[in-house]
Amino acid sequence: MGQMRSQAVRLAGVTKRFPGVLANDDVDLEVGAGTVHALLGENGAGKTTLMNVLYGLYEPNDGAVYVDGEQRRFDSPREAIDAGVGMIHQHFMLVDPMTVAENVTLGYEPQGRFGVDRARAREEVVALADRYGFDIDPGARIEDISVGVQQRVEILKALYRGADVLVLDEPTAVLTPQEVEELFDVFEELTAQGKTILFITHKLGEAMGAAEEITVLRDGRNVGTVPAGDTSREELAELMVGREVLLEIERDPVETGDVVLGVDSLRVRDGRGTERVSDASFAVREGEILGIAGVDGNGQSELIEAITGLRAPESGSVAIDGADVTRASRRAHTDRGMAYVPEDRQERGLVMDLDLVRNAVLGSQHDPAFAANGRIDWAAARAHAAAVIDAYDVRPPDPGARAASLSGGNQQKFVVGRELERDPRVVIASHPTRGVDVGSTEFIHERLLALRREGRAVVLVSSKLDEVRGLSDRLAVMYEGEFVDVIDPGETTEEQLGLLMAGERPDETAERATVSADGGEDTGTETERTGTDDIDGE
Amino acid sequence: MNRASLQRALAIGFGGALAVFVLLGLVFPGTLAGDFLDILTRESTLSSALRLSVPIAFAALGGIFAEKAGVINIGLEGLLIISAFVGVFATSLLGAGGETLGVSNVWVGFAFAVLASTLLSLLFAVVCIEFRADQIIAGLAIWLIALGLAPFVARVYYGSVNSGSVSSLGTWEIPLLSAIPYVGAVFRSDPSVYFLLVAVPLSWWVLNRTAFGRHVDASGENPRALDTAGVSVRKVRYQGVLLSGVLSGIGGASLSLGLGQFIGTGQTMVNGKGFIAIVAYLFGNYNPIGAFGASLLFAGLEAIQLRLQQVPGYTIPDSLIQTLPFVTVIVVLALVGRTRIPQAAGEYYESGED
Ligand SMILES: Nc1ncnc2c1ncn2[C@@H]1O[C@H](COP(=O)(O)OP(=O)(O)OP(=O)(O)O)[C@@H](O)[C@H]1O
Ligand SMILES: [Mg+2]
Repeated sequence: MGQMRSQAVRLAGVTKRFPGVLANDDVDLEVGAGTVHALLGENGAGKTTLMNVLYGLYEPNDGAVYVDGEQRRFDSPREAIDAGVGMIHQHFMLVDPMTVAENVTLGYEPQGRFGVDRARAREEVVALADRYGFDIDPGARIEDISVGVQQRVEILKALYRGADVLVLDEPTAVLTPQEVEELFDVFEELTAQGKTILFITHKLGEAMGAAEEITVLRDGRNVGTVPAGDTSREELAELMVGREVLLEIERDPVETGDVVLGVDSLRVRDGRGTERVSDASFAVREGEILGIAGVDGNGQSELIEAITGLRAPESGSVAIDGADVTRASRRAHTDRGMAYVPEDRQERGLVMDLDLVRNAVLGSQHDPAFAANGRIDWAAARAHAAAVIDAYDVRPPDPGARAASLSGGNQQKFVVGRELERDPRVVIASHPTRGVDVGSTEFIHERLLALRREGRAVVLVSSKLDEVRGLSDRLAVMYEGEFVDVIDPGETTEEQLGLLMAGERPDETAERATVSADGGEDTGTETERTGTDDIDGE
Repeated sequence: MNRASLQRALAIGFGGALAVFVLLGLVFPGTLAGDFLDILTRESTLSSALRLSVPIAFAALGGIFAEKAGVINIGLEGLLIISAFVGVFATSLLGAGGETLGVSNVWVGFAFAVLASTLLSLLFAVVCIEFRADQIIAGLAIWLIALGLAPFVARVYYGSVNSGSVSSLGTWEIPLLSAIPYVGAVFRSDPSVYFLLVAVPLSWWVLNRTAFGRHVDASGENPRALDTAGVSVRKVRYQGVLLSGVLSGIGGASLSLGLGQFIGTGQTMVNGKGFIAIVAYLFGNYNPIGAFGASLLFAGLEAIQLRLQQVPGYTIPDSLIQTLPFVTVIVVLALVGRTRIPQAAGEYYESGED
């Protein structure tokens, strides 16, 4: 690569201040045309802000943006789009009840003689999809397609608007390993056709695997741009955090105790009446982490909703410490000691418009620690918020900050902190480290393991395979609403796990390691197995 | 019992009762049921149902645009009141029966009515979109302003909360078509009925077939998606709310100028039509055609109710008969169940917020 590459994007001295926060501090960044560039950094380092400046959502306080060598000032996304910059946000910007074609053409509808030329819109979308090898039904509604496909729609949307530079904010956070592979194939196809890609990630391996160059931000500053082929995870982690990070999870054996969470023959339907969980049974004991792995949309969400009391199951039962809570209120669940880290922090974890003090007592507003005579003790609430902020390294460390003003990862850390510090009997954690940087991920893992040591029960749902494999004592694989198998993660390779997640029955997998109980941890394996008929036939 | 089967039971019960009633009417023409059937099949009932549906349907169309764009306009009632009053008031000021610039003053009054309603909706839009006001409270304020203002000005100018009479818009008759039995009534109608018959399909087309309609949809469902697609949410919301002003203005002006008078007693001559309009578009699931159908249903019940009151010999209290449309509203709402309202309706949207 000796020849001169033209710069698709150049940021020079970009500075962006929010009240009290210097989000970007004199950042220089250059991205060569036709390359993939990864942006790394801790939560709150300023990655999203920097990309929003490039996309015209924020106006920088200082500095300049060059696209294709020309200096640009974008006052709105529209202008960025017109200059060939497209952005795929962390939270997808799609209109759920509309179709794929309608979303792709939104704001750029081809006009016919009688309003929008819908036939042409469809044709154009299909042609575009074909060109990049996407398999997409232009007439499908967004609410009916998977997250991975929704992401394709977002990419198509940017391409349809003539984007030459694609900016993706944590595109892999919501994807399964399989989908991540596919996304990177798409990257290759795009750069082969001359497009430039800039993406944000927290996964070092992804940055090294998919990008040509990696830029690391820390505290709003660019602390280094390195060629991906010429660096190591350790170096990147240290650049990001400024210290060495433990990348391995160390899990000591722990004595398990009584059953804390008992789930028996649970059947759950979703809002449309489709059965999403068919006959799930399992038990989680004190000192045990039960992992649940599976491709998104195989009933994990509904299962968790039923366990936490957010959705009434069709049949079956849920018990905490032997007490039935199947149809009990959310409050009853909380009172019995269930902590819940929801999958979507903005939807269910936080009230975005409230400050962290108020958010800190969500769910414990009846707790005597915070409430006296029907009034909330705000001093206690503030102290609690400050404690969570401190322990989980939420930045900026200001209990008075509005939840919406925090970066995605910091919002996540706050929710996790609030829930894990509830002194729970059982923790239900859905994607607890989604969008969280390596350093904080390490800390959350440690906290979960500490809870396990203290004899709490944990249910962990995650699409990060290394996470579920590393933390779980037993790992249940869900496919189309059923537990295909419950395995010992230590004895299963990532490949075997992948096959199970794709729905392959354990008896079809030649070499597999079905759990059974290792050592003294014979923990209700009987019950889990009743969930699936095939497993018994081995 | 789950909701679906409960709804089915209700539907069967309601439909059954209606069928029995109609059957009774056929067999015993002299009874209440017979009179009911007679009223139902009268041409004049159809034409008055159409006329009564005009303000409801126009307000409903307006409400659809506003709410789909993300602004719940509960002040439709106020927009109807203000336009009903201004239509007559402006005509009076100009001189009832005269002409201005070659246009009959009634029609100039009509135009002023639409303008007044649009201005009031602009006030509502500014308060909601610029000043983050709570949409429900702002909507109620719009209603209360109109409810206070219209009779007040009437009292000052006319000396009574009711206006004096002006000439009405009259009827437009389409030759030949109006000779068809029963349905011919449609072609011997107030001009506003024709406007409505144009406005309904036109609104449907705008919402479902134009880029603007898409933007309205997106603005109410996921405004950030629209914003990041480079379309101004603010602009689309203004347009939606202003359209509710224009359409309600046509409805209100048609109401008073069709009669040639503004009646300001009690809840004024609008008398809840703006609120029924909200029910109508919810019932019609934000589809202009469905909303029109619902408006026609409510207006039809109103027409039947008015006529039932005139049938001599029954001792059913008027006030009981008058509840008929509202009882139906409740039954209908129970039957439809929950309508899916636009995801972001009622929420303030700030561009650039993370
Ligand atoms: N709208 C806002 N108002 C005030 N402060 C903000 C706003 N947006 C971001 N910030 C602050 O700017 C800093 C950088 O945030 P940014 O979202 O860019 O981080 P990030 O690197 O994307 O983090 P993450 O990995 O958690 O997504 C944070 O301290 C955040 O609290
Ligand atoms: Mg971010």
